[in-house]
Amino acid sequence: MALPAKLAPEKLYRTCNPEGFSFDTTAELDGPIKATGQERAFDAITFSMGIRHDGFNLFALGPNGTGKQTAIMHFLGNTAPDAAVPSDWCYVNNFEQPRHPKALKLPAGKASTLSRNMEHLVEALFTVLPAAFSSEEYQAQEKDIREKFQEQQAEAIEELEKKAAERQIALIRTPAGFAFAPQKQGEVIKPEEFMQLSKKERDSIEEEIEILKTAMQSIMAQIPKWQRETQEKIKELNRNIANFAVKPLISELKTSYELLEGVMAYLESVESDLVENFDQFLEREPDPRELLLGISPGKFSHRGASFNRYRVNVIVDNSKTKGAPVVYEDKPACQNLVGDIEHISQMGTLVTDFTLIKKGALHRANGGYLLIDARRLLMEPLAYEALKKALRTRQIHIESLAQLYSLVSTVSLEPEPIPLDIKVILLGERHLYYLLSVYDPDFSELFKVAADFEDELAGDSDGKLAYARIISSIAKKDNLHHFDRGAVARVIEHGSRLSGDSKKLTAHLQSICDLVHEAEYYAVSAKKDIVQAEDVQRAIDARTVRSSRIQEKIREATLKNSILIDTDSEKIGQINGLAIYSPGGQSFGHPGRITARVRLGKGEVIDIEREVEMGGPIHSKGVMILSGFLGARFAIDQPLSLSASLVFEQSYSGIEGDSASSAELYALLSALSGAPIHQCFAVTGSVNQFGEVQAIGGVNEKIEGFFDLCKARELSGKQGVLIPASNVDNLMLRQEVVEASRNGLFAIYPVTHVDEGIEILTGIPAGVADENGNYPSESINGMALARLGEMAEKLKKFNASLNDEEE
Amino acid sequence: MPERHTNKVIRHITVALDCSPHSIASLRAAAELARRMHADLTGIFVEDLNLLRMAELPFSREIRVYTQEPEKIETLQLERSLKMQARAAEEALQRIAGEFMVEYTFRVSRGMVPAEVIAAALEADLLVLGRSGRSPTCRKGLGSTARKAMAEGKKPLLLMRPGFSAKDGTVLVLYDGSEGSQQALNSALALLQPGIPLSVLILGQTPEKAEEMQRELMATTAIPATDIEYHHLPLKEGKTLARYIRMADSGLLVLSDRMNIPKESVHELVNSIDYPVLLV
Repeated sequence: MALPAKLAPEKLYRTCNPEGFSFDTTAELDGPIKATGQERAFDAITFSMGIRHDGFNLFALGPNGTGKQTAIMHFLGNTAPDAAVPSDWCYVNNFEQPRHPKALKLPAGKASTLSRNMEHLVEALFTVLPAAFSSEEYQAQEKDIREKFQEQQAEAIEELEKKAAERQIALIRTPAGFAFAPQKQGEVIKPEEFMQLSKKERDSIEEEIEILKTAMQSIMAQIPKWQRETQEKIKELNRNIANFAVKPLISELKTSYELLEGVMAYLESVESDLVENFDQFLEREPDPRELLLGISPGKFSHRGASFNRYRVNVIVDNSKTKGAPVVYEDKPACQNLVGDIEHISQMGTLVTDFTLIKKGALHRANGGYLLIDARRLLMEPLAYEALKKALRTRQIHIESLAQLYSLVSTVSLEPEPIPLDIKVILLGERHLYYLLSVYDPDFSELFKVAADFEDELAGDSDGKLAYARIISSIAKKDNLHHFDRGAVARVIEHGSRLSGDSKKLTAHLQSICDLVHEAEYYAVSAKKDIVQAEDVQRAIDARTVRSSRIQEKIREATLKNSILIDTDSEKIGQINGLAIYSPGGQSFGHPGRITARVRLGKGEVIDIEREVEMGGPIHSKGVMILSGFLGARFAIDQPLSLSASLVFEQSYSGIEGDSASSAELYALLSALSGAPIHQCFAVTGSVNQFGEVQAIGGVNEKIEGFFDLCKARELSGKQGVLIPASNVDNLMLRQEVVEASRNGLFAIYPVTHVDEGIEILTGIPAGVADENGNYPSESINGMALARLGEMAEKLKKFNASLNDEEE
Repeated sequence: MPERHTNKVIRHITVALDCSPHSIASLRAAAELARRMHADLTGIFVEDLNLLRMAELPFSREIRVYTQEPEKIETLQLERSLKMQARAAEEALQRIAGEFMVEYTFRVSRGMVPAEVIAAALEADLLVLGRSGRSPTCRKGLGSTARKAMAEGKKPLLLMRPGFSAKDGTVLVLYDGSEGSQQALNSALALLQPGIPLSVLILGQTPEKAEEMQRELMATTAIPATDIEYHHLPLKEGKTLARYIRMADSGLLVLSDRMNIPKESVHELVNSIDYPVLLV
């Protein structure tokens, strides 16, 4: 079998040739940023925005920093300005039911005009109404009505008084009412004189007084009625006067809003309310108690209250909006979405009115587009539910959270809901989308379109040009120095490394943006006008150094032999595996020793990691696959009479993943065959039951981790790493590694099958079975099979002796 | 303020109080005058003997506006009510006197109201009364006390009604050349605030006579002619006069009952017009 050759240095790193660019520096690029490779997402966006139908809202999914928001904003920036400007909305007082303020719809820009008009109206009323009510005409009429009442009363009493006087009886005003008494020469008769009168005379006087009393009583009974009538007449007069004063002002307003039915109805109700409540516009003495307490009347003062009553609370003012609004709500709390009803503390109590209704993002974006970060939305209590309710019912219903949960018990409002016509765009990670799809039945109803953003772009010339344009736009936007073509090429290479694929570029534009800023910093520090490749390299190196503390600590421990890693000798049943550590975002690789021991047994492979519950399920699965492979290869004709134990030496935390399963298999084969493994190699790759080596992740970091250790101990020229052949495309290794490879100091072997790997590792061929299933005795497989045969024999003997003893 | 043309200096002013709107107007006017004249103020409250007598009559019943059945008047309760009224009157006096910063005394007496008021006024230089009091009717004409004071009481007498104050508003004097009317003019000048227009209504038998009287007046009166307006009215009949006064909306009317017109006509005039009157 032909062994795979070392990978040529060119395979280890896919360079981006700066000469392929048509520009010298990014300053020359001014075309639009065309994100390539996101066509799928863009099609979804176009579809979702184009379809004016319920539920076709959009969920843009993809990792953070892939420019979802930028892309959508860019798209909407082109389409939204051409759309129709949505209507204005405002809340006005509901005079019949103040708890339910009315929503008024007006053409764009008209709401603030109406608000101003109403303010002017109220101001005007403060002069017009007092003038009307202090006019001589009104005063005279009012006086006339009051005097009529006085006269009516006086006449009735006077008549009775006259009648009484004729009978020598006086009508006298007592402290609380009236009384009759007989008189003599203008004076009330003295009691003793009265008693001296004859009984007949006394009786006749009493009788007279009785009659008069009855007459008086009937007059008294009339008085409240007269009072009422007078009051009614005065009211009627007031109404007439107020109506006369108010009507022309309202009529003038009405002419400006003739075509708007809602506004006309509102103005009608304002008119009748003004006529009923005209007295609030008349000057009144301030309440002395308030002055005494030093309370400033403020918003709810008499005058302020009348201003408020007729005020227009403009919720949506589109006077300056061009096209459909595009709103990004950064804090999608419930009250920020659907709006809120605020309260004012007044003398220790909370009060509110329709002027304290606050708009939410849904109001602002009504008729347009609302972008929300899905994770933030879900983290805000009840916000998601509120948003769904609004989308489902197609109206914005303002409810205060505190009210909803009875946290406060104070007078609150139930404003009339406003119809909602909106496209909501949620931005979020993929797993959020999948979770919501599974667990929330409403979600798929309301967010029917998913724009799935790619993690990576094609590394072709389009993709590279897109990168160059992105760099250019960042430089222009943030006022940075421009990049020359070499620097752009280096950024592209780094983008490729980040994507983990030499033929792709990462779509995580945030990291590219960060790199651009960092590289520019170093260029500026070096007093350069243009950012060059070396600045980009410096930024990349500096970033690695910044996060390399843990990595270096581990390497240091290895060099001191606190962590035992052999990179030199040969050992049976021992191999260098490669593990990835990812503390805080930055990941790095480091070798770890894997050992295998075998003994007589019943054919099980014991994964010590699993036994102590330090191995994850995928790791355990990898180990079980090994058993499958071993069984199929060596235990066709005889039982697998061994017990093998596998362990990651010196691992003190959990292990997950199957990328070490090939290494474990090599260790087992070495332990079985007794062939020592060259410790100058490290191995990565998973394996299947047929012994094929399969791709793994983080190949670059793993290789570099082993390289760094070997380099620290001095490169011997023999050292190298075995990787799955299918990972070759993922290679974007550091220049240092590429150089070492070029100089023959370090080698990378692409392996497709364990038989290739074991030969590289031991220098002994794996051996191919003949038609009888026998392997050459000098091959690894032959030695292993022979060893297994011996063990089976031993076990048989042992079992036989055990049976004899029993007998 | 410099006093002009005073034949008699006013040092004591008496005002009758009964808590009615008329009496409060009188009190204000009296206090205002007292301050201007540096006079002191005496408020009198009369406990009506008629009331007390009536309470003792076996069949006396009080009819009230808001109570269905007439109730027996108890003397004790009545006394208490009168005391309360007196206290309220005193409080009003105290308040208003304080406002105008004049010295005051308050007196309560018991008896027939007109007689008591007239008697109290004997010590005063000016008696101030409401045109009507708490009499049963809110009549337009004069109340019984006012009528009696006008007929029998001491002059000068100021009859007030609510809605006017002695501080502002115009003054109209009736002048017919008689001694009484001369006195009225002098009093008017004495009471007049500087800058307030004074109207003199000259009642002449003929227009020529009126002209003559005006010339005489202009010659003898020491105030600038611009401050006085002269009007002529040939008739002396009460009704025409009353109509003229109402038309002129004169404000305070100053006149004497010792003019060429009969006293009764003067009293009738005072009774029929609804303006404050200073009778000299």
